[in-house]
Amino acid sequence: MLVDLAKHQDKLLFMQLYDYFSPRIKSFLVKKGASAELAEELVQETMLTVWKKAASYDPEKATASTWLFRIARNLWIDRLRKEKPDLLSPLSVYPETGYTPNMDVCDSGKIKSALDSLPLQQAQLVYKVYYEGKTHREIADDMGMPIGSVKSGLRLAFDKLRFRMGGES
Amino acid sequence: MSCNHHPDLSTLLNYGAGSLSDALAMVVACHLESCEHCRHTVTEAENIGMALLKEVSADDMSRNARDNMLAMLDDHAIEPPQVVIETPQKEGDIPTQLRPLIGQWFADLKWSRVAPGLKQFILPASDGKLRLLNIAPGTFMPAHGHSGSELTLVLKGSYSDELGRFRAGDVADVDPDVTHQPVADTHEGCICLIATDAPLRFKGLVPRLLQPFFQL
Repeated sequence: MLVDLAKHQDKLLFMQLYDYFSPRIKSFLVKKGASAELAEELVQETMLTVWKKAASYDPEKATASTWLFRIARNLWIDRLRKEKPDLLSPLSVYPETGYTPNMDVCDSGKIKSALDSLPLQQAQLVYKVYYEGKTHREIADDMGMPIGSVKSGLRLAFDKLRFRMGGES
Repeated sequence: MSCNHHPDLSTLLNYGAGSLSDALAMVVACHLESCEHCRHTVTEAENIGMALLKEVSADDMSRNARDNMLAMLDDHAIEPPQVVIETPQKEGDIPTQLRPLIGQWFADLKWSRVAPGLKQFILPASDGKLRLLNIAPGTFMPAHGHSGSELTLVLKGSYSDELGRFRAGDVADVDPDVTHQPVADTHEGCICLIATDAPLRFKGLVPRLLQPFFQL
């Protein structure tokens, strides 16, 4: 889709992507703690980047939606840095390396049943990592668990999720 | 370069999700440069992220957002594809990720001596959480535990500790409950990039006296 979009500079096709993804990215960022305004601003920035870079997207290297996820994630992290300029601000910790081809993008039903199959605590850990953006240490503090247990829980969860979603384990 | 020791799966998961502290993420980024296996794992973590993003209940954008987007499309053309030009790697032994910050050669850094056989360089702007350690051949690090996560990437030479032997490209992902005492085990010594998200805890009195020198 992105390949066609770039070839024909197809705005209608792009707006289909926009209509699907923008409310979801917004909600995802709000969950992570962004205000509604900031989330919308980052949505616009993400989608504009998708548009501008559509010709550079390489389907051999990532599925379109994973590519989009990376863009949104990196913009969010950059924004966090600007707001509390603590670490390494001049450096990107997400280099544009040639990522390898990956498993097919899963339909979202799969992730749901995969998450449902996890023990409650592991599912909770996954939520905290992805939706709340928490580090192992923060999760350990939140849940009153040793960091080692947070890590082993996430390890097990990751293995089950990628297996159920069709990747290798 | 093929690596024998990788970051923990849970560390790669957080990296893909964008939930790793900057210092730890930098060590992962440097490891990914040379480890295809872990690049693949990170992509899996990103795929899970995207699936979770699709799961959230949609949050309506404000009324003008769509029109604004359309207007922006008129102002911005799709850029021509970025051709990745394989520029010949500039000479240097410092990982490319770190070069914008500290240059190309370990030898040009202003190392500070911490103890006999042990030098360190704290990365600017890292709040002391990211440092290079330069361990002379045969030198033992003080035994230490951690109150948080620690990630160590070997950049040059190798070291051994209770967990095994770590060569260039290898990562030690140490849980807080582990106490270890690395020793540089080759004639060239060992340079490591170490990220922590909390101060190291040294065992024994003498190492604790060294703490001020580590700026911990």
